[in-house]
Amino acid sequence: MKRTVLIALALLPVSLATASDDPIAQRQDLMSETREALKPLIGISRGQADFDAETVSASLAVFANTAEKAPALFPEGSETGGDTEAKATIWSDRDGFDQRFQDFAEAVAAAQAANIASAEELGPKLQDVLGTCKGCHDNYRVEKE
Amino acid sequence: MKRWLFFLALLALAGWWLTRPVGFAPGDVSERTAGHVPDLANGERLFNAGGCASCHGRIEDGKPQRDIMAGGLEMTSPVGTFRAPNISPHPDQGIGGWTALEFLDAMQRGVSPQGRHYYPAFPYASYARMEATDLLDLKAYLDGLPASDHVVGGHELSFPYSLRRGIGLWKRLYLDADPVIEVASGDAVLERGRYLVEGPGHCGECHTPRNFAQAMDPGRWLGGAPNPEGEGRVPNITPGRASFGDWSADDIAYYLESGVDPDFDVVGGSMVAVQENMARLDAADREAIAAYLKALPPVE
Ligand code: HEC
Ligand code: HEC
Ligand code: HEC
Repeated sequence: MKRTVLIALALLPVSLATASDDPIAQRQDLMSETREALKPLIGISRGQADFDAETVSASLAVFANTAEKAPALFPEGSETGGDTEAKATIWSDRDGFDQRFQDFAEAVAAAQAANIASAEELGPKLQDVLGTCKGCHDNYRVEKE
Repeated sequence: MKRWLFFLALLALAGWWLTRPVGFAPGDVSERTAGHVPDLANGERLFNAGGCASCHGRIEDGKPQRDIMAGGLEMTSPVGTFRAPNISPHPDQGIGGWTALEFLDAMQRGVSPQGRHYYPAFPYASYARMEATDLLDLKAYLDGLPASDHVVGGHELSFPYSLRRGIGLWKRLYLDADPVIEVASGDAVLERGRYLVEGPGHCGECHTPRNFAQAMDPGRWLGGAPNPEGEGRVPNITPGRASFGDWSADDIAYYLESGVDPDFDVVGGSMVAVQENMARLDAADREAIAAYLKALPPVE
Protein backbone atom coordinates (compact mmCIF):
# COMPACT_ATOMS: atom_id res chain seq x y z
CA MET A 1 0.00 0.00 0.00
CA LYS A 2 2.61 2.51 1.12
CA ARG A 3 4.73 1.40 -1.72
CA THR A 4 2.07 2.10 -4.35
CA VAL A 5 1.52 5.53 -2.86
CA LEU A 6 5.25 6.19 -3.07
CA ILE A 7 5.38 5.03 -6.66
CA ALA A 8 2.37 7.10 -7.48
CA LEU A 9 4.01 10.13 -5.86
CA ALA A 10 7.21 9.46 -7.75
CA LEU A 11 5.32 9.34 -11.02
CA LEU A 12 3.17 12.36 -10.30
CA PRO A 13 5.60 15.15 -11.18
CA VAL A 14 6.53 13.40 -14.39
CA SER A 15 2.98 13.08 -15.64
CA LEU A 16 2.17 16.60 -14.52
CA ALA A 17 5.20 17.85 -16.37
CA THR A 18 4.32 16.14 -19.64
CA ALA A 19 0.70 17.09 -19.25
CA SER A 20 1.28 20.76 -18.69
CA ASP A 21 4.03 21.03 -21.29
CA ASP A 22 2.31 19.39 -24.16
CA PRO A 23 -1.11 20.59 -25.22
CA ILE A 24 -1.09 18.06 -28.08
CA ALA A 25 -0.88 15.09 -25.68
CA GLN A 26 -3.40 16.73 -23.36
CA ARG A 27 -6.02 17.33 -26.01
CA GLN A 28 -5.54 13.84 -27.44
CA ASP A 29 -6.05 12.38 -23.96
CA LEU A 30 -9.18 14.43 -23.56
CA MET A 31 -10.52 13.22 -26.93
CA SER A 32 -9.66 9.63 -25.96
CA GLU A 33 -11.65 10.02 -22.74
CA THR A 34 -14.47 11.29 -24.92
CA ARG A 35 -14.23 8.17 -27.06
CA GLU A 36 -14.37 5.96 -23.93
CA ALA A 37 -17.45 7.83 -22.75
CA LEU A 38 -19.10 7.31 -26.13
CA LYS A 39 -18.65 3.54 -25.97
CA PRO A 40 -21.45 2.70 -23.47
CA LEU A 41 -23.85 5.11 -25.21
CA ILE A 42 -23.37 3.31 -28.52
CA GLY A 43 -23.88 -0.03 -26.78
CA ILE A 44 -27.18 1.15 -25.32
CA SER A 45 -28.43 2.76 -28.52
CA ARG A 46 -27.65 -0.39 -30.52
CA GLY A 47 -29.50 -2.55 -27.98
CA GLN A 48 -26.29 -4.37 -27.02
CA ALA A 49 -26.45 -3.12 -23.42
CA ASP A 50 -29.32 -2.31 -21.06
CA PHE A 51 -30.31 1.29 -20.53
CA ASP A 52 -28.78 2.80 -17.41
CA ALA A 53 -29.48 6.45 -16.55
CA GLU A 54 -26.31 6.80 -14.45
CA THR A 55 -24.08 5.57 -17.23
CA VAL A 56 -25.68 8.02 -19.62
CA SER A 57 -25.29 11.00 -17.32
CA ALA A 58 -21.69 10.04 -16.51
CA SER A 59 -20.86 9.93 -20.22
CA LEU A 60 -22.56 13.25 -20.88
CA ALA A 61 -20.57 14.77 -18.01
CA VAL A 62 -17.34 13.65 -19.71
CA PHE A 63 -18.50 15.27 -22.95
CA ALA A 64 -19.31 18.50 -21.11
CA ASN A 65 -15.83 18.44 -19.57
CA THR A 66 -14.25 18.03 -23.02
CA ALA A 67 -16.29 20.90 -24.42
CA GLU A 68 -15.11 23.10 -21.57
CA LYS A 69 -11.42 22.18 -21.43
CA ALA A 70 -10.49 21.37 -25.02
CA PRO A 71 -10.70 24.84 -26.64
CA ALA A 72 -7.73 26.04 -24.55
CA LEU A 73 -5.58 23.10 -25.66
CA PHE A 74 -5.03 24.35 -29.21
CA PRO A 75 -2.67 27.30 -28.51
CA GLU A 76 -0.51 28.94 -31.18
CA GLY A 77 2.64 26.85 -31.53
CA SER A 78 0.86 23.50 -31.23
CA GLU A 79 0.03 23.27 -34.93
CA THR A 80 2.47 20.44 -35.54
CA GLY A 81 4.34 17.86 -33.52
CA GLY A 82 3.65 14.49 -31.96
CA ASP A 83 1.17 12.68 -34.15
CA THR A 84 -1.32 15.50 -34.07
CA GLU A 85 -4.30 15.22 -36.39
CA ALA A 86 -5.22 18.83 -35.85
CA LYS A 87 -5.67 20.62 -39.17
CA ALA A 88 -4.10 23.98 -40.00
CA THR A 89 -7.61 25.43 -40.43
CA ILE A 90 -7.93 25.53 -36.61
CA TRP A 91 -5.46 28.42 -36.56
CA SER A 92 -6.51 30.08 -39.81
CA ASP A 93 -10.21 30.02 -38.82
CA ARG A 94 -10.18 30.21 -35.04
CA ASP A 95 -13.69 31.64 -34.77
CA GLY A 96 -15.17 28.81 -36.81
CA PHE A 97 -13.34 26.26 -34.68
CA ASP A 98 -14.48 27.82 -31.40
CA GLN A 99 -18.03 27.93 -32.76
CA ARG A 100 -17.88 24.15 -33.33
CA PHE A 101 -16.97 23.65 -29.66
CA GLN A 102 -19.89 25.90 -28.77
CA ASP A 103 -22.23 23.76 -30.93
CA PHE A 104 -20.88 20.65 -29.21
CA ALA A 105 -21.39 22.14 -25.73
CA GLU A 106 -24.96 23.11 -26.62
CA ALA A 107 -25.87 19.67 -27.95
CA VAL A 108 -24.46 18.07 -24.79
CA ALA A 109 -26.32 20.53 -22.53
CA ALA A 110 -29.57 19.81 -24.39
CA ALA A 111 -29.05 16.07 -23.87
CA GLN A 112 -28.34 16.64 -20.17
CA ALA A 113 -31.47 18.78 -19.76
CA ALA A 114 -33.65 16.15 -21.43
CA ASN A 115 -33.40 13.68 -18.50
CA ILE A 116 -33.10 10.77 -20.90
CA ALA A 117 -34.99 7.77 -19.50
CA SER A 118 -34.81 5.10 -22.20
CA ALA A 119 -32.72 3.85 -25.11
CA GLU A 120 -35.38 5.25 -27.48
CA GLU A 121 -34.94 8.72 -26.00
CA LEU A 122 -31.17 8.43 -26.09
CA GLY A 123 -31.08 7.71 -29.85
CA PRO A 124 -31.94 11.14 -31.27
CA LYS A 125 -29.98 13.05 -28.60
CA LEU A 126 -26.92 10.94 -29.31
CA GLN A 127 -27.35 11.65 -33.04
CA ASP A 128 -27.36 15.38 -32.30
CA VAL A 129 -24.19 15.15 -30.22
CA LEU A 130 -22.44 12.97 -32.80
CA GLY A 131 -23.46 15.49 -35.45
CA THR A 132 -21.42 18.11 -33.60
CA CYS A 133 -18.38 15.78 -33.26
CA LYS A 134 -18.51 15.29 -37.06
CA GLY A 135 -19.26 18.96 -37.64
CA CYS A 136 -15.82 19.71 -36.20
CA HIS A 137 -13.85 16.69 -37.40
CA ASP A 138 -14.87 17.41 -41.02
CA ASN A 139 -13.02 20.72 -41.30
CA TYR A 140 -10.56 20.76 -38.40
CA ARG A 141 -9.14 17.27 -38.10
CA VAL A 142 -7.27 15.20 -40.65
CA GLU A 143 -6.62 11.47 -40.81
CA LYS A 144 -2.92 10.63 -41.10
CA GLU A 145 -3.31 6.80 -41.41
CA MET B 1 10.48 19.44 -95.12
CA LYS B 2 7.20 19.25 -96.99
CA ARG B 3 6.85 15.71 -95.79
CA TRP B 4 7.27 16.78 -92.17
CA LEU B 5 4.59 19.38 -92.56
CA PHE B 6 2.32 16.74 -93.99
CA PHE B 7 2.93 14.44 -91.02
CA LEU B 8 2.44 17.27 -88.55
CA ALA B 9 -0.85 18.15 -90.18
CA LEU B 10 -1.88 14.51 -90.11
CA LEU B 11 -0.91 14.25 -86.45
CA ALA B 12 -2.88 17.39 -85.60
CA LEU B 13 -5.85 16.03 -87.48
CA ALA B 14 -5.56 12.68 -85.69
CA GLY B 15 -5.27 14.53 -82.39
CA TRP B 16 -8.31 16.61 -83.20
CA TRP B 17 -10.21 13.45 -84.07
CA LEU B 18 -9.01 11.52 -81.01
CA THR B 19 -9.85 14.30 -78.57
CA ARG B 20 -13.30 15.14 -79.93
CA PRO B 21 -16.21 14.88 -77.46
CA VAL B 22 -18.27 11.75 -78.11
CA GLY B 23 -21.77 11.47 -76.66
CA PHE B 24 -24.19 8.58 -76.84
CA ALA B 25 -26.05 7.78 -80.05
CA PRO B 26 -29.66 8.83 -79.38
CA GLY B 27 -30.94 5.40 -80.41
CA ASP B 28 -28.67 3.74 -77.88
CA VAL B 29 -30.18 5.69 -74.98
CA SER B 30 -33.79 5.29 -76.04
CA GLU B 31 -33.18 1.56 -76.35
CA ARG B 32 -31.77 1.34 -72.82
CA THR B 33 -34.62 3.34 -71.33
CA ALA B 34 -37.59 2.29 -73.47
CA GLY B 35 -40.88 2.41 -71.58
CA HIS B 36 -39.25 3.51 -68.32
CA VAL B 37 -41.49 5.40 -65.90
CA PRO B 38 -39.39 7.60 -63.55
CA ASP B 39 -39.37 6.47 -59.91
CA LEU B 40 -38.79 9.49 -57.64
CA ALA B 41 -37.96 7.46 -54.53
CA ASN B 42 -35.23 5.69 -56.45
CA GLY B 43 -34.07 9.05 -57.82
CA GLU B 44 -33.66 10.37 -54.28
CA ARG B 45 -31.74 7.23 -53.31
CA LEU B 46 -29.28 7.84 -56.17
CA PHE B 47 -29.05 11.53 -55.33
CA ASN B 48 -27.88 10.45 -51.85
CA ALA B 49 -25.66 7.62 -53.04
CA GLY B 50 -24.10 9.92 -55.64
CA GLY B 51 -23.39 12.75 -53.19
CA CYS B 52 -24.63 15.40 -55.65
CA ALA B 53 -25.46 17.82 -52.81
CA SER B 54 -21.93 17.54 -51.34
CA CYS B 55 -20.61 19.39 -54.39
CA HIS B 56 -23.59 21.17 -55.93
CA GLY B 57 -25.57 22.23 -52.84
CA ARG B 58 -25.92 25.95 -52.12
CA ILE B 59 -23.30 27.18 -49.65
CA GLU B 60 -24.24 28.28 -46.15
CA ASP B 61 -21.80 28.56 -43.22
CA GLY B 62 -19.11 27.43 -45.64
CA LYS B 63 -20.81 24.06 -46.19
CA PRO B 64 -22.92 22.78 -49.08
CA GLN B 65 -26.60 22.26 -48.16
CA ARG B 66 -28.94 19.54 -49.44
CA ASP B 67 -32.02 21.56 -50.36
CA ILE B 68 -31.11 23.69 -53.41
CA MET B 69 -28.52 22.67 -56.02
CA ALA B 70 -27.39 26.25 -56.66
CA GLY B 71 -23.69 25.34 -56.86
CA GLY B 72 -20.73 27.57 -56.00
CA LEU B 73 -18.52 25.23 -53.96
CA GLU B 74 -14.86 25.97 -54.68
CA MET B 75 -12.68 22.90 -55.04
CA THR B 76 -8.95 23.53 -54.91
CA SER B 77 -6.66 21.12 -56.73
CA PRO B 78 -3.04 21.13 -57.88
CA VAL B 79 -4.16 22.42 -61.32
CA GLY B 80 -6.32 25.25 -59.98
CA THR B 81 -9.77 25.97 -58.57
CA PHE B 82 -12.95 24.29 -59.86
CA ARG B 83 -16.38 25.73 -59.12
CA ALA B 84 -19.34 23.38 -58.92
CA PRO B 85 -22.02 24.61 -61.34
CA ASN B 86 -25.69 25.30 -60.62
CA ILE B 87 -27.60 22.07 -61.42
CA SER B 88 -30.97 23.25 -60.12
CA PRO B 89 -33.86 23.11 -62.65
CA HIS B 90 -33.46 26.83 -63.49
CA PRO B 91 -33.83 27.23 -67.29
CA ASP B 92 -30.90 29.66 -67.70
CA GLN B 93 -28.52 29.23 -64.76
CA GLY B 94 -29.24 25.57 -64.05
CA ILE B 95 -30.02 22.47 -66.08
CA GLY B 96 -33.76 22.98 -66.44
CA GLY B 97 -34.91 21.92 -69.89
CA TRP B 98 -32.08 19.47 -70.53
CA THR B 99 -33.19 16.40 -72.44
CA ALA B 100 -32.58 12.91 -71.08
CA LEU B 101 -29.88 12.44 -73.71
CA GLU B 102 -28.09 15.65 -72.71
CA PHE B 103 -28.20 14.58 -69.06
CA LEU B 104 -26.83 11.11 -69.81
CA ASP B 105 -24.08 12.54 -72.03
CA ALA B 106 -23.01 14.79 -69.14
CA MET B 107 -23.22 12.11 -66.43
CA GLN B 108 -21.60 9.25 -68.33
CA ARG B 109 -19.61 10.61 -71.28
CA GLY B 110 -18.55 13.90 -69.69
CA VAL B 111 -19.91 15.87 -72.65
CA SER B 112 -21.92 19.10 -72.28
CA PRO B 113 -24.97 20.01 -74.39
CA GLN B 114 -22.66 22.44 -76.27
CA GLY B 115 -20.41 19.50 -77.11
CA ARG B 116 -17.55 20.38 -74.74
CA HIS B 117 -15.65 18.05 -72.42
CA TYR B 118 -16.21 18.23 -68.68
CA TYR B 119 -13.28 17.95 -66.31
CA PRO B 120 -13.12 14.67 -64.40
CA ALA B 121 -13.37 16.70 -61.15
CA PHE B 122 -17.03 15.98 -61.91
CA PRO B 123 -16.88 12.24 -61.13
CA TYR B 124 -18.47 11.02 -64.39
CA ALA B 125 -15.72 8.39 -64.70
CA SER B 126 -17.61 6.64 -61.86
CA TYR B 127 -21.15 7.64 -62.84
CA ALA B 128 -20.38 6.06 -66.25
CA ARG B 129 -21.10 2.71 -64.54
CA MET B 130 -24.67 3.67 -63.56
CA GLU B 131 -27.81 2.20 -65.14
CA ALA B 132 -29.45 4.56 -67.65
CA THR B 133 -32.85 4.05 -65.96
CA ASP B 134 -31.35 5.02 -62.58
CA LEU B 135 -30.11 8.24 -64.19
CA LEU B 136 -33.57 9.02 -65.53
CA ASP B 137 -34.96 8.57 -62.01
CA LEU B 138 -32.22 10.86 -60.67
CA LYS B 139 -33.02 13.49 -63.30
CA ALA B 140 -36.73 13.38 -62.40
CA TYR B 141 -35.79 13.90 -58.73
CA LEU B 142 -33.47 16.84 -59.56
CA ASP B 143 -36.19 18.40 -61.74
CA GLY B 144 -38.44 18.47 -58.67
CA LEU B 145 -35.99 20.41 -56.45
CA PRO B 146 -36.28 24.22 -56.19
CA ALA B 147 -34.79 26.29 -59.05
CA SER B 148 -32.10 28.87 -58.27
CA ASP B 149 -30.86 31.71 -60.48
CA HIS B 150 -27.50 31.79 -58.69
CA VAL B 151 -24.71 32.53 -61.17
CA VAL B 152 -21.54 30.52 -60.61
CA GLY B 153 -18.21 31.85 -61.91
CA GLY B 154 -15.91 29.79 -64.11
CA HIS B 155 -13.00 27.60 -63.05
CA GLU B 156 -9.55 29.13 -62.55
CA LEU B 157 -7.08 26.64 -63.95
CA SER B 158 -3.47 26.90 -65.02
CA PHE B 159 -2.36 26.32 -68.61
CA PRO B 160 -2.56 23.75 -70.26
CA TYR B 161 -5.31 22.41 -67.98
CA SER B 162 -7.45 25.39 -68.90
CA LEU B 163 -7.87 23.77 -72.35
CA ARG B 164 -10.75 21.30 -72.26
CA ARG B 165 -9.87 19.61 -75.51
CA GLY B 166 -7.03 17.58 -73.95
CA ILE B 167 -9.56 15.78 -71.75
CA GLY B 168 -10.64 13.90 -74.89
CA LEU B 169 -7.44 11.90 -74.88
CA TRP B 170 -7.77 11.20 -71.17
CA LYS B 171 -11.26 9.86 -71.76
CA ARG B 172 -10.13 7.61 -74.62
CA LEU B 173 -7.59 6.03 -72.30
CA TYR B 174 -9.49 5.91 -69.02
CA LEU B 175 -13.26 6.38 -69.36
CA ASP B 176 -14.57 2.85 -68.97
CA ALA B 177 -18.07 1.77 -67.98
CA ASP B 178 -17.03 -1.81 -67.14
CA PRO B 179 -16.89 -2.95 -63.51
CA VAL B 180 -13.46 -2.73 -61.87
CA ILE B 181 -13.59 -5.80 -59.65
CA GLU B 182 -14.82 -9.30 -60.51
CA VAL B 183 -17.37 -10.58 -58.01
CA ALA B 184 -18.94 -14.03 -57.83
CA SER B 185 -21.55 -13.87 -60.56
CA GLY B 186 -25.08 -14.35 -59.37
CA ASP B 187 -24.31 -12.98 -55.89
CA ALA B 188 -26.92 -10.24 -55.80
CA VAL B 189 -25.57 -8.62 -52.60
CA LEU B 190 -22.00 -8.31 -53.90
CA GLU B 191 -23.25 -7.07 -57.26
CA ARG B 192 -25.36 -4.41 -55.57
CA GLY B 193 -22.41 -3.40 -53.36
CA ARG B 194 -20.13 -3.17 -56.38
CA TYR B 195 -22.67 -1.08 -58.26
CA LEU B 196 -23.06 1.39 -55.40
CA VAL B 197 -19.32 1.70 -54.67
CA GLU B 198 -17.92 1.74 -58.23
CA GLY B 199 -20.83 3.69 -59.76
CA PRO B 200 -22.92 6.31 -57.93
CA GLY B 201 -20.94 6.17 -54.64
CA HIS B 202 -17.71 7.09 -56.53
CA CYS B 203 -15.68 5.85 -53.55
CA GLY B 204 -12.68 5.21 -55.80
CA GLU B 205 -12.37 8.91 -56.65
CA CYS B 206 -10.91 9.53 -53.17
CA HIS B 207 -9.78 6.09 -51.95
CA THR B 208 -7.92 4.88 -55.08
CA PRO B 209 -4.41 6.15 -55.86
CA ARG B 210 -3.99 7.86 -59.25
CA ASN B 211 -1.38 7.35 -61.94
CA PHE B 212 0.69 10.11 -63.63
CA ALA B 213 -2.34 11.04 -65.76
CA GLN B 214 -4.57 11.48 -62.68
CA ALA B 215 -6.57 8.33 -63.55
CA MET B 216 -7.57 5.85 -60.82
CA ASP B 217 -5.20 2.87 -60.74
CA PRO B 218 -7.39 -0.27 -61.03
CA GLY B 219 -4.50 -2.41 -59.75
CA ARG B 220 -4.60 -0.61 -56.40
CA TRP B 221 -8.38 -0.17 -56.26
CA LEU B 222 -9.48 1.53 -53.00
CA GLY B 223 -5.93 1.03 -51.67
CA GLY B 224 -5.61 4.50 -50.12
CA ALA B 225 -4.33 7.75 -51.61
CA PRO B 226 -2.92 11.13 -50.69
CA ASN B 227 -5.68 13.50 -49.61
CA PRO B 228 -6.53 15.72 -52.60
CA GLU B 229 -7.22 18.55 -50.14
CA GLY B 230 -3.55 18.57 -49.15
CA GLU B 231 -2.99 17.37 -45.59
CA GLY B 232 -3.16 13.71 -44.59
CA ARG B 233 -4.25 10.59 -46.45
CA VAL B 234 -7.47 8.94 -47.54
CA PRO B 235 -7.28 5.46 -45.96
CA ASN B 236 -6.93 2.08 -47.64
CA ILE B 237 -10.35 0.39 -47.33
CA THR B 238 -9.36 -3.05 -48.63
CA PRO B 239 -8.76 -6.02 -46.31
CA GLY B 240 -5.02 -5.51 -47.04
CA ARG B 241 -4.65 -2.89 -44.30
CA ALA B 242 -4.58 -4.81 -41.02
CA SER B 243 -6.36 -2.17 -38.95
CA PHE B 244 -9.22 -2.06 -41.47
CA GLY B 245 -9.21 -5.78 -42.31
CA ASP B 246 -10.23 -6.31 -38.67
CA TRP B 247 -13.55 -4.51 -39.18
CA SER B 248 -16.47 -6.91 -39.61
CA ALA B 249 -19.05 -6.28 -42.34
CA ASP B 250 -21.37 -5.21 -39.52
CA ASP B 251 -18.75 -2.68 -38.27
CA ILE B 252 -18.52 -1.16 -41.77
CA ALA B 253 -22.29 -0.94 -42.17
CA TYR B 254 -22.62 0.70 -38.74
CA TYR B 255 -19.84 3.19 -39.56
CA LEU B 256 -21.67 4.18 -42.75
CA GLU B 257 -24.90 4.56 -40.77
CA SER B 258 -23.57 6.44 -37.73
CA GLY B 259 -20.04 7.71 -38.44
CA VAL B 260 -18.72 5.79 -35.41
CA ASP B 261 -15.94 3.27 -36.03
CA PRO B 262 -15.27 0.04 -34.04
CA ASP B 263 -12.85 1.97 -31.78
CA PHE B 264 -15.62 4.50 -31.07
CA ASP B 265 -13.75 7.21 -32.96
CA VAL B 266 -15.92 9.57 -34.98
CA VAL B 267 -15.55 10.12 -38.75
CA GLY B 268 -13.80 13.26 -40.02
CA GLY B 269 -12.65 15.10 -43.13
CA SER B 270 -14.41 14.78 -46.48
CA MET B 271 -15.79 11.37 -45.39
CA VAL B 272 -18.33 13.13 -43.12
CA ALA B 273 -20.46 14.27 -46.05
CA VAL B 274 -20.19 10.83 -47.67
CA GLN B 275 -21.19 9.09 -44.43
CA GLU B 276 -24.16 11.40 -43.92
CA ASN B 277 -25.33 10.49 -47.42
CA MET B 278 -24.83 6.77 -46.75
CA ALA B 279 -26.92 7.13 -43.58
CA ARG B 280 -29.88 8.03 -45.82
CA LEU B 281 -29.72 4.79 -47.80
CA ASP B 282 -31.63 1.61 -46.97
CA ALA B 283 -29.86 -0.64 -44.45
CA ALA B 284 -29.65 -3.34 -47.15
CA ASP B 285 -27.62 -0.99 -49.37
CA ARG B 286 -25.13 -0.25 -46.58
CA GLU B 287 -24.83 -3.99 -45.92
CA ALA B 288 -24.17 -4.60 -49.63
CA ILE B 289 -21.40 -1.97 -49.63
CA ALA B 290 -19.87 -3.58 -46.54
CA ALA B 291 -19.98 -7.05 -48.13
CA TYR B 292 -18.27 -5.72 -51.28
CA LEU B 293 -15.49 -4.00 -49.28
CA LYS B 294 -14.85 -7.23 -47.35
CA ALA B 295 -14.59 -9.14 -50.65
CA LEU B 296 -12.07 -6.73 -52.28
CA PRO B 297 -8.65 -7.94 -53.41
CA PRO B 298 -6.34 -6.81 -50.58
CA VAL B 299 -3.99 -3.90 -51.34
CA GLU B 300 -0.97 -3.86 -49.03
C1 HEC C 1 -14.59 21.57 -31.96
C2 HEC C 1 -13.86 20.47 -32.51
C3 HEC C 1 -14.07 19.03 -32.03
C4 HEC C 1 -15.20 18.45 -31.50
C5 HEC C 1 -16.56 19.08 -31.21
C6 HEC C 1 -14.86 17.06 -31.28
N1 HEC C 1 -13.57 16.81 -31.65
FE1 HEC C 1 -12.60 15.03 -31.55
N2 HEC C 1 -10.90 15.91 -32.27
C7 HEC C 1 -10.79 17.22 -32.67
C8 HEC C 1 -9.43 17.47 -33.12
C9 HEC C 1 -8.89 18.79 -33.66
C10 HEC C 1 -8.71 16.26 -32.97
C11 HEC C 1 -7.23 16.00 -33.28
C12 HEC C 1 -6.42 16.36 -32.03
C13 HEC C 1 -4.94 16.13 -32.23
O1 HEC C 1 -4.55 15.06 -32.72
O2 HEC C 1 -4.15 17.04 -31.89
C14 HEC C 1 -9.67 15.28 -32.44
C15 HEC C 1 -9.36 13.96 -32.13
C16 HEC C 1 -10.27 13.02 -31.69
C17 HEC C 1 -9.94 11.64 -31.39
C18 HEC C 1 -8.57 10.99 -31.53
C19 HEC C 1 -7.79 11.17 -30.23
C20 HEC C 1 -6.41 10.56 -30.26
O3 HEC C 1 -6.24 9.50 -29.68
O4 HEC C 1 -5.53 11.14 -30.90
C21 HEC C 1 -11.10 11.03 -30.95
C22 HEC C 1 -11.27 9.59 -30.50
C23 HEC C 1 -12.14 12.05 -30.97
N3 HEC C 1 -11.61 13.25 -31.42
C24 HEC C 1 -13.45 11.83 -30.60
C25 HEC C 1 -14.44 12.82 -30.53
C26 HEC C 1 -15.81 12.57 -30.12
C27 HEC C 1 -16.38 11.20 -29.73
C28 HEC C 1 -16.44 13.78 -30.16
C29 HEC C 1 -17.90 14.11 -29.83
C30 HEC C 1 -18.48 13.46 -28.69
C31 HEC C 1 -15.47 14.78 -30.60
N4 HEC C 1 -14.27 14.15 -30.83
C32 HEC C 1 -15.76 16.13 -30.77
C33 HEC C 1 -11.77 18.17 -32.65
C34 HEC C 1 -13.05 17.99 -32.14
C1 HEC D 1 -16.82 15.87 -56.37
C2 HEC D 1 -17.74 16.92 -56.70
C3 HEC D 1 -18.96 16.57 -57.56
C4 HEC D 1 -19.93 15.64 -57.30
C5 HEC D 1 -20.01 14.64 -56.14
C6 HEC D 1 -20.91 15.79 -58.34
N1 HEC D 1 -20.53 16.76 -59.22
FE1 HEC D 1 -21.56 17.42 -60.83
N2 HEC D 1 -20.00 18.60 -61.36
C7 HEC D 1 -18.88 18.85 -60.60
C8 HEC D 1 -18.02 19.80 -61.30
C9 HEC D 1 -16.68 20.34 -60.79
C10 HEC D 1 -18.65 20.12 -62.51
C11 HEC D 1 -18.14 21.06 -63.61
C12 HEC D 1 -17.32 20.27 -64.60
C13 HEC D 1 -16.77 21.13 -65.71
O1 HEC D 1 -17.06 22.33 -65.78
O2 HEC D 1 -16.02 20.59 -66.53
C14 HEC D 1 -19.90 19.36 -62.50
C15 HEC D 1 -20.85 19.41 -63.53
C16 HEC D 1 -22.07 18.77 -63.49
C17 HEC D 1 -23.08 18.90 -64.53
C18 HEC D 1 -22.98 19.79 -65.76
C19 HEC D 1 -23.57 21.13 -65.41
C20 HEC D 1 -23.51 22.17 -66.50
O3 HEC D 1 -24.06 23.27 -66.28
O4 HEC D 1 -22.92 21.93 -67.56
C21 HEC D 1 -24.14 18.13 -64.15
C22 HEC D 1 -25.45 17.93 -64.88
C23 HEC D 1 -23.78 17.52 -62.89
N3 HEC D 1 -22.53 17.94 -62.52
C24 HEC D 1 -24.63 16.68 -62.19
C25 HEC D 1 -24.25 16.00 -61.03
C26 HEC D 1 -25.09 15.02 -60.37
C27 HEC D 1 -26.50 14.65 -60.78
C28 HEC D 1 -24.36 14.54 -59.31
C29 HEC D 1 -24.74 13.45 -58.33
C30 HEC D 1 -25.03 12.14 -58.89
C31 HEC D 1 -23.08 15.24 -59.33
N4 HEC D 1 -23.06 16.11 -60.37
C32 HEC D 1 -22.08 15.06 -58.41
C33 HEC D 1 -18.60 18.27 -59.38
C34 HEC D 1 -19.33 17.27 -58.77
C1 HEC E 1 -14.57 12.90 -50.93
C2 HEC E 1 -13.63 11.86 -50.67
C3 HEC E 1 -14.18 10.50 -50.22
C4 HEC E 1 -15.14 9.75 -50.84
C5 HEC E 1 -15.91 10.05 -52.12
C6 HEC E 1 -15.27 8.56 -50.04
N1 HEC E 1 -14.44 8.60 -48.97
FE1 HEC E 1 -14.31 7.20 -47.48
N2 HEC E 1 -12.96 8.35 -46.50
C7 HEC E 1 -12.47 9.57 -46.94
C8 HEC E 1 -11.60 10.13 -45.93
C9 HEC E 1 -10.87 11.47 -45.99
C10 HEC E 1 -11.59 9.20 -44.85
C11 HEC E 1 -10.89 9.37 -43.50
C12 HEC E 1 -11.96 9.76 -42.52
C13 HEC E 1 -11.49 10.37 -41.21
O1 HEC E 1 -10.57 11.21 -41.25
O2 HEC E 1 -12.08 10.04 -40.18
C14 HEC E 1 -12.45 8.09 -45.27
C15 HEC E 1 -12.69 6.96 -44.47
C16 HEC E 1 -13.48 5.88 -44.85
C17 HEC E 1 -13.68 4.68 -44.07
C18 HEC E 1 -13.06 4.41 -42.69
C19 HEC E 1 -11.70 3.80 -42.85
C20 HEC E 1 -10.93 3.75 -41.56
O3 HEC E 1 -10.05 2.90 -41.46
O4 HEC E 1 -11.17 4.56 -40.66
C21 HEC E 1 -14.51 3.86 -44.78
C22 HEC E 1 -15.02 2.49 -44.37
C23 HEC E 1 -14.83 4.55 -46.00
N3 HEC E 1 -14.19 5.78 -46.03
C24 HEC E 1 -15.67 4.05 -46.97
C25 HEC E 1 -16.07 4.78 -48.10
C26 HEC E 1 -17.08 4.32 -49.03
C27 HEC E 1 -17.82 2.99 -48.96
C28 HEC E 1 -17.22 5.31 -49.95
C29 HEC E 1 -18.18 5.38 -51.14
C30 HEC E 1 -19.58 5.23 -50.80
C31 HEC E 1 -16.30 6.37 -49.60
N4 HEC E 1 -15.63 6.02 -48.47
C32 HEC E 1 -16.16 7.54 -50.34
C33 HEC E 1 -12.77 10.20 -48.14
C34 HEC E 1 -13.74 9.78 -49.04
